[in-house]
Amino acid sequence: MFGLTPPAPVMPRDFSACSGCSLCVLVCPMWRARRDPRFSAEGLAKAQQCGATAAELAAPIEACSLCGACDPVCPERIDLSGMIMGLRQRLTNSVPPRTPPPAVLGDLSAMLQKASGAPAAEGAVSRAAPVLLPGPDLRADAELLARVQALVGLVLFDDDGADIVLALELGVEIPHARLHGFLDALRGHSIVAADGLLLRQLRRWLPGSQRMSLGAALSTRAAVRSNLVPSDLYVIEPRAFHGDYERMVGYYDRLQRETGCSLSQDLQRIAIPATSSELGQKLGLVAGDDVQAKWLLQGRKPARIIVENLADRAAFRRVCEIPVLHVAELGEDPEMIKSRPHAFG
Amino acid sequence: MPAGVSSLLTSDQVSALKILPVEPGTVGPCPVASDALQGIKRQQTNPARWNGAGWEAFVAALRATGVELAEGPVACGVYATDAGGTAYGLPHGVVIAHSAAQVAALLKAAQTHRVPVTVRGGGLTTEGESVAFGGVLLDMTGMSRVLNIDATGLTVRTEAGIFWHGLAEELRREGLDYLSAPLNLTSSVGGTLGVGGIDVNSARLGCSADQAISLQVVTPTGEIVECSDSENAELFQRVILGYGQFGVITEATLRIRPYTPLAMRYFYYSSLRTAIEDLQMLDAADASDYSGILTIMDCAVNLLVAFDSDEREAAFRKNWKSKLRGYGEFGFALCMAGHYALRPWRIGEALYLLRRKREVFPEFRRPEYMRNGKMHDRTVVYSRAVWKHWGSRNMVIPDLATSTERFIEAVERGNAVCRRFFPHYTLYCVGIKLRPEHQAHYEMSCVPPGVQDRAYGCEFEPMIEGAVYSRDHFQSFKNAIYDIGVDMGASYYRFGGMMKGYIRRVFGDALVDKHLAMKRQADPAMILNRDVIF
Ligand SMILES: Cc1cc2nc3c(=O)[nH]c(=O)nc-3n(C[C@H](O)[C@H](O)[C@H](O)COP(=O)(O)OP(=O)(O)OC[C@H]3O[C@@H](n4cnc5c(N)ncnc54)[C@H](O)[C@@H]3O)c2cc1C
Ligand code: SF4
Ligand code: SF4
Repeated sequence: MFGLTPPAPVMPRDFSACSGCSLCVLVCPMWRARRDPRFSAEGLAKAQQCGATAAELAAPIEACSLCGACDPVCPERIDLSGMIMGLRQRLTNSVPPRTPPPAVLGDLSAMLQKASGAPAAEGAVSRAAPVLLPGPDLRADAELLARVQALVGLVLFDDDGADIVLALELGVEIPHARLHGFLDALRGHSIVAADGLLLRQLRRWLPGSQRMSLGAALSTRAAVRSNLVPSDLYVIEPRAFHGDYERMVGYYDRLQRETGCSLSQDLQRIAIPATSSELGQKLGLVAGDDVQAKWLLQGRKPARIIVENLADRAAFRRVCEIPVLHVAELGEDPEMIKSRPHAFG
Repeated sequence: MPAGVSSLLTSDQVSALKILPVEPGTVGPCPVASDALQGIKRQQTNPARWNGAGWEAFVAALRATGVELAEGPVACGVYATDAGGTAYGLPHGVVIAHSAAQVAALLKAAQTHRVPVTVRGGGLTTEGESVAFGGVLLDMTGMSRVLNIDATGLTVRTEAGIFWHGLAEELRREGLDYLSAPLNLTSSVGGTLGVGGIDVNSARLGCSADQAISLQVVTPTGEIVECSDSENAELFQRVILGYGQFGVITEATLRIRPYTPLAMRYFYYSSLRTAIEDLQMLDAADASDYSGILTIMDCAVNLLVAFDSDEREAAFRKNWKSKLRGYGEFGFALCMAGHYALRPWRIGEALYLLRRKREVFPEFRRPEYMRNGKMHDRTVVYSRAVWKHWGSRNMVIPDLATSTERFIEAVERGNAVCRRFFPHYTLYCVGIKLRPEHQAHYEMSCVPPGVQDRAYGCEFEPMIEGAVYSRDHFQSFKNAIYDIGVDMGASYYRFGGMMKGYIRRVFGDALVDKHLAMKRQADPAMILNRDVIF
C-alpha cells in the first residue's frame, strides 16, 4: 500500500503569477474542444490580469470541467482549479445569477438544507474504520457496488456528500451546518471516495486524514491487478489523480510497470479526461460531446478499456466497439480478495 | 517631429536629418541609425500603437466575408505580452485562425484597409515580436491539427499553429517523433520555422527550420501558396527563418523519425572554456546524438551527451569518453568540496550550487520518465524543468550565434557581461548543423553570416528568482550582450522586436535594404508583422 501522508503543501499562488507559459493549455479539455485560448486556465488568469470580471468570463468559467489537469503542470504553482471554483462562486452570486438555472439552484439548496438538519451519518460505523463513499452513480448499480465492496472490503458510508459536490461544482455556498456535520462524521475515518472533486476538497478540509480514490483503492487489490494486462488501456479518474498528483503519478507509474497496461496519460503524465463534463452537460442543459474519448483513443488500439469512472464507461461505449470494463469488474477471484482484509489493509 | 521644432529649421536642415516622409498607416525605413545604440544604456524600440485609422470599416468588411473577430479586454488580454514580459501592447481585435482561406480573407481585407496584422503562435518570443501594438492579432493556435502522418516516408503534414508538444503527442502514439524542436513544449511549428528552433540534437540534425520540406503559406496579399525548395523556392527561402515577414505559415510538411528513448550522460566542468572545447570536439566527431552545455554557475558547467541507441553509446565509450576532461557527479562534488574548503569566504556560492542541485537534478530523473535507465519524452522532461526552474514573468534571454572558431570568445565575453548584471544566471550552449543547400534560407537570420558547416549558439539567461529588475536594467544587459555580437560579426536568435535596432548594425545596410525592398513588394501596405524587423 502506498503511503498516505501528504507532503507539506507549498503555498499556492494566484492568477497574477501567471507567466503565460501555456503548459495548462496543452492539457485542457475545454481548450481542445474549441482551440481558443480564452477557454483555458491561462486565458482566465491573463484576462483577470487585465481586469476582467467573473461575469465577462462566464463562458469559460462554465465550460471548465474542473478536471484539475492544469494544476500540476503550472510551473508557477497557481491553484488554477481553485481559482476557477472561486470565479464560479462569484458568478453564481452575481445579480442576476447567470448560472445555473434557478430550478437546479433551488433543488440544490433544498438538498443542502435538508441534509443540514439530518443526523450525522455515523452510528453503525465505528470511528477509525475505513469507509467507502461510492457516489450516486455507483449506488445506482447495485451489482457493481456489491463487487466494489467485496474488493475493497469497506463499510458503506451513508452520506456521499453528493449535494456538497454539486454545490462545489456550481459555486454555491455550502451551509456551515451541513459542511461541518458532514466533515465531523468523516473525521477519524480513512476514506475511499469515488468522487475526485470531493477527495480534492477533503484534502483541504481534513488535512492529515487518510484518503484514497476508489480507482486507486481497487487497483491496489491483487485480484484486480493480476487481471490487468499489457493490451489494456487503463483510464484514470482525473480529478482525484490531479488533486494529489505527486503521489498518484508515482502510484500509477508503478501500476504500469507492474502490469504493463497503458495509461490514459499524455506525455506530461497528466490523466487525459475521457469526458469533457462541462457544467451545462452535467446539468443536462447541453448535449455531451465525445471529443475527449475520441482523442484518448486516437492512435491507440487496446483490447480492453478499463475505467475507474462510470461516466467514462458510457462515453467509450458511445465511440468504440472495444469492450469497456469498470476496474471492479476485473476482480474476479474471491480467494485473492480474502488475502487482504480491505483496501487500507 | 513636433511642428514647432520643424518650423525652426530650414528645409535644408530638415533634409539633412534624413527623415523621410512616411505614408500614413505604413512604416518608413528603419529610423535607427547604424550606430544609434552604441554607448546608450537603453533604447526604447517598442513601436507606437497603430492609430486605428479605418478600423470600423475594416471590421465591417472582414465580418462581411464571414471572418469572426473578437474585441475587448477578455479577448485581447491574453495577448498583452509575450514570454519576455517586458513588451506590452494590445491589439484592437483578435482572429483565431481556422483555415488558410480565412487567413487569406483577413490579409486581403487588412491589405485593403491598411490594418496591421501580428501573427502569434506560442507567443514565446521575448522581445515583443508576437505582441500586437494595435491592429489584428492573428492567433495561429486555432490551426493545430495533424493532417497526415506518413510512417513509411517519415513525414508529417500538420497545421502550423500546433504546439510542438501537440505534434509530439500524436506522433508518439504512432511510435514516431519529430527531429528537433525548442525545449519548451508550447512554441508552435509555424512560429518556430520562422525563427529557428534549436534542440540538443541540432549539432547533428540542424534547426527545426531545416526540417521543413514544404509549406502552405498565405502571402501578405492573401494568396494561398504551396512552397518548397523546388516549388516557389524564393517564397520558401524568405518564409523559413523569415520572422513572419513574407507570409503566414498555415501548414507544414516536416521530416520525422522513429521514436527512441535516450541514454543521458552528464559530465561536469569547472571551466567554461574546457567544457566548450570538449563539446565541440564531440560534435565535430559526431560522437553523440545529443549534446549541449548548461551551467549552474560559470564554475559549475554541465556537458550533457545522450544517445538514441546502445551502439552509439558503446562507440562513444570506446572512442571519446576518456578524452573528455569533465568529471562524473561524485568526482565533481569532491572537486567542488575541495575548492570551497580552501575558499571559505565563498560559502554563499557553494550553498547556491547545492540548492540548485537539490532543486533541479531530481527533475531530470523523475521515475515516470525513466525506463531501464533511459529517459522517455525528453522534451517534456526538459521543458517542464525549464519552465519550473528558469521560467518567470520576465524571460530575458539574449544570445549570440557565431562560427565554431569564435564561439569560446563570445561565450566568455557574454559571461563577463552576465556577471556584471546578475548574481546568478545560466548559459545554454549548443551546436547547429547547417545545410549547404539552405544557405539562401539563412540570409539575414539567426545563422551568423558566412558560417558554413556548423554554428554555435549561447543563450545568457539571468535567474530572476523573485527579484524585481527595471526594464532599463534588462535592456542594458541585452545591449551589452548584443554589442559583443556587433563587434564579433555574430548573429542573434532574437534580433527582432525590441532588439531590431541591431539589425542594421549586424547585417549592414545593403542586406537589410535588399530584404526591405522584397518586403515592400510582397506586402505593399506593410501590414504583416510590420514592426518586428523593419
Ligand atoms: C522558456 C523558453 C524556452 C525556449 N527554449 C528554446 C529552445 O530550446 N530552442 C529554441 O530554438 N528556442 C527556444 N525559445 C524561443 C522560442 O521557442 C522561439 O521563439 C519559438 O520557437 C517561437 O515559436 P512561437 O510559436 O512561440 O512563436 P511566436 O512567439 O508566436 O512567434 C515568433 C515569430 O513568428 C511569427 N509567427 C508566429 N507564427 C507564425 C506563422 N504561423 N506564420 C508566420 N509567422 C509566424 C510571429 O509574428 C513572431 O514574429 C524559448 C523561449 C522560451 C520563452
Ligand atoms: S480544470 Fe480542466 S477544464 Fe478547467 S481549466 Fe483546468 S484543465 Fe481546463
Ligand atoms: S501553466 Fe500556469 S503560468 Fe503557465 S500559462 Fe497556465 S496558468 Fe499561466
